[in-house]
Amino acid sequence: MDLPYRRYFEEIPCYVTVQDRGFRVVDSNRRFREDFGDPEGRFCYQVYKHRHERCEICPVDQTFQDGQGHQNEEQVCTLDGREMSVMVYTSPIRDETGAITSVLEISADISDVKRLQRQLKESQRRYRLLFEEVPCFISIQDPELRIVDTNRSFKENFGGFQGSKCYEVYKHRDEECVECAVRRTFKDGKIHHSEEVVTSIQGKQMNTLVFSAPIHDSDGEIQYVMEMSTNITPIRELQSQLESIGLLISSVSHSIKGLLTGLDGGMYLVNTGLQKNNQQRITQGWEMVQRNIERIRGTVMNILYYAKKREPSWEAVAAPALVEEVCGLIEPKAREYGVALRRDVDGGAGEFEADAKAMRSLLINLLENSVDACRVDTKKPSHAVTVGLKGFPDHLVFEIADDGIGMDRRTREKAFSLFFSSKGSEGTGLGLFIANGIAQAHRGQIGIESELDKGTRFVVKIPRSRKEPDQGGKPEP
Amino acid sequence: MAADKKTILIVDDEPDVLTYLSTLFEDGGYATVQAQDGNEALSKVKEKAPDLVTLDITMPNKSGVKFYREMKESAEWRKVPIIIVTGVSGDFKTFISTRKQVPPPEGYLSKPIDKTEILNLVKKLA
Repeated sequence: MDLPYRRYFEEIPCYVTVQDRGFRVVDSNRRFREDFGDPEGRFCYQVYKHRHERCEICPVDQTFQDGQGHQNEEQVCTLDGREMSVMVYTSPIRDETGAITSVLEISADISDVKRLQRQLKESQRRYRLLFEEVPCFISIQDPELRIVDTNRSFKENFGGFQGSKCYEVYKHRDEECVECAVRRTFKDGKIHHSEEVVTSIQGKQMNTLVFSAPIHDSDGEIQYVMEMSTNITPIRELQSQLESIGLLISSVSHSIKGLLTGLDGGMYLVNTGLQKNNQQRITQGWEMVQRNIERIRGTVMNILYYAKKREPSWEAVAAPALVEEVCGLIEPKAREYGVALRRDVDGGAGEFEADAKAMRSLLINLLENSVDACRVDTKKPSHAVTVGLKGFPDHLVFEIADDGIGMDRRTREKAFSLFFSSKGSEGTGLGLFIANGIAQAHRGQIGIESELDKGTRFVVKIPRSRKEPDQGGKPEP
Repeated sequence: MAADKKTILIVDDEPDVLTYLSTLFEDGGYATVQAQDGNEALSKVKEKAPDLVTLDITMPNKSGVKFYREMKESAEWRKVPIIIVTGVSGDFKTFISTRKQVPPPEGYLSKPIDKTEILNLVKKLA
C-alpha cells in the first residue's frame, strides 16, 4: 500500500481488517489493534469473538462467495473484555485478473445507537404497559370515530372491537352521539369532557366520565383522539341514594307534621272534654289520638322497610290464610271509618312461594290506601272495600277494590313513584312504592284501575313460583 | 246571640284537623264551616260568606293554591282574610308572598299548630 493511503488506512476511525479465504486477519488498522490486540495471523472469529470456530453467518464469507459487499450487525468483545455492538461492512479485494484474493472488513462501533434503541424500546414498553393497565377505558379513535387501539380494561368490558365506531361499541347505536367530546377535540384540539351512560358486553349499564385529548402527528395535525372513560357508577348510585334520603326526610317530616297536628287535636279534645266533663268529646279525641299513633306506626314501619334492604325469606304460603290474616288486621280500622270490608276469596287458591312478611306488607299497604280513599270521600253515604283472591295454575290474583275518591290520571300514573302522595300532609309516598317493589321481587305486578269519584281497583298478580318456569331447561350462560 | 258569631271556614283534607280546628274555634266563640278540598271550599264561601278562612295548601282534587288565587282574584271575596295552615316548609311562605298576581296571605302558620297562636291570629284578623 502506498504510504499516504497506508496512513489513511491506519487512521480510519473504525475497526479495519483484511482477511484471506480462511478468515485469517492478514492486515489491520491502528484502532483495531488498540482494542483487539495484534492479530498475529489469528482468525477473525478468534480476535473479535474469542471463539474457536467460524461464525454461522459471516459477511466476509458471503463476499468471497458472491463478490458483493455485505453488511451485518455483530456483537464483539475487545481485548479487555468490553462487549460492543458493531455494524460490519465487507468489500472484495481483487487482483489484476479480477479474482478475489481477500476481503476488506470495516466495523463501526454502534454501541451508543444500540443503547438508545434499547432505551427507546423499554420506554415504549413501559408506556404501553401504563396504557394497558390504567384503570379506565381508553380508546384511540380516528377522525371517523373508528377505534384503532384500546387498552386492557376497555377490551375486558367492551370486547376487542378494533375498527368499529365508538358509538357502536359503547352505546350499541347506529348513529353518532349528538354531543361528542371526541368530535369536539378533533375540531378545536382541546381537551373536552362529558358524562355518558354506556353498556358493556356483559349488558351492564355504567355511568362514565369521559375525557378526550388530541394526539398530534409530527406535523402538528390531530391524527387521533384519545378517549378516556372512568366508571363513576358507584358515585352516581351514592348520589341518588343521598337524594332519596333527602327526599325521604322531607317527605317524612311533612307527613309527621300532619300526624302531630292530628295528635294535638286529639289531645285538645280529650283535655277539654275532661274539663267540660263531655264524654262524647273525650271519646272522639281519644280515637283521634289512637288513629294518629297507628298512622305513625305505619309510617315508621314503611321507613324501616325502605331503609333496610333485606333478603326475602322464601316459604310456601297459603294464600287464603294470608288474605284472612290481613283482613283481620285491617278490619278494626275499616269499621272505625264506617267502611265495610268484604271478602271474595277462593278458598282453594292454594299455596305460593313468597316472603310472607313482605306479602303481608304489600296487602296491608294497598288495603290501607283503599280504606283511606273511602274515609276522605264525603260524597257517598257508605263505602265498602272488597278483597278478592283467585287461584290459577301458575299464578294468583289478589284484588283490592274500593268505592272511595278514586284517582285522576296523574295520580294513577304516579301512584307507585317514590315520595309521590296525593294524600296531602298524611302520605309519605312510600306505601305504594314499597308494595310495588315487593310485587316485583315476587316477579309479580300491580295494576291500577281507577276513576275519580268512582273508586280504585288494585290487581296484584303473583306467580306461584319465584323461579322462571323454563329456567331448568336453559344452559347456564 | 248565635247570629253575632263570626264564621270561620276551615279547609283541610285531613278529617282530624277539621275536627280539631272546628272544636278549637267553636270553644273560642266562633261558628265553623268545613271543606275538604278547594272545590268544596269555594261553594262553602258562596253559601256561608265566612269572615275568615284557614287553608291547607296541599290537598287532593283542587289544590289550596288554586282556591287561594280564585279568592284573591274575586272582587267579592278578596277582602276575606286567609290564614294558610300547612306542613309544607317555610319556603312556601316566600313563594306565595312574592307572586305578582296575588297579594300575600293575611296569615301563615306551619303545622303542627300552636293553638294560642292560631286563636290570636284569628281574633286579630276576623
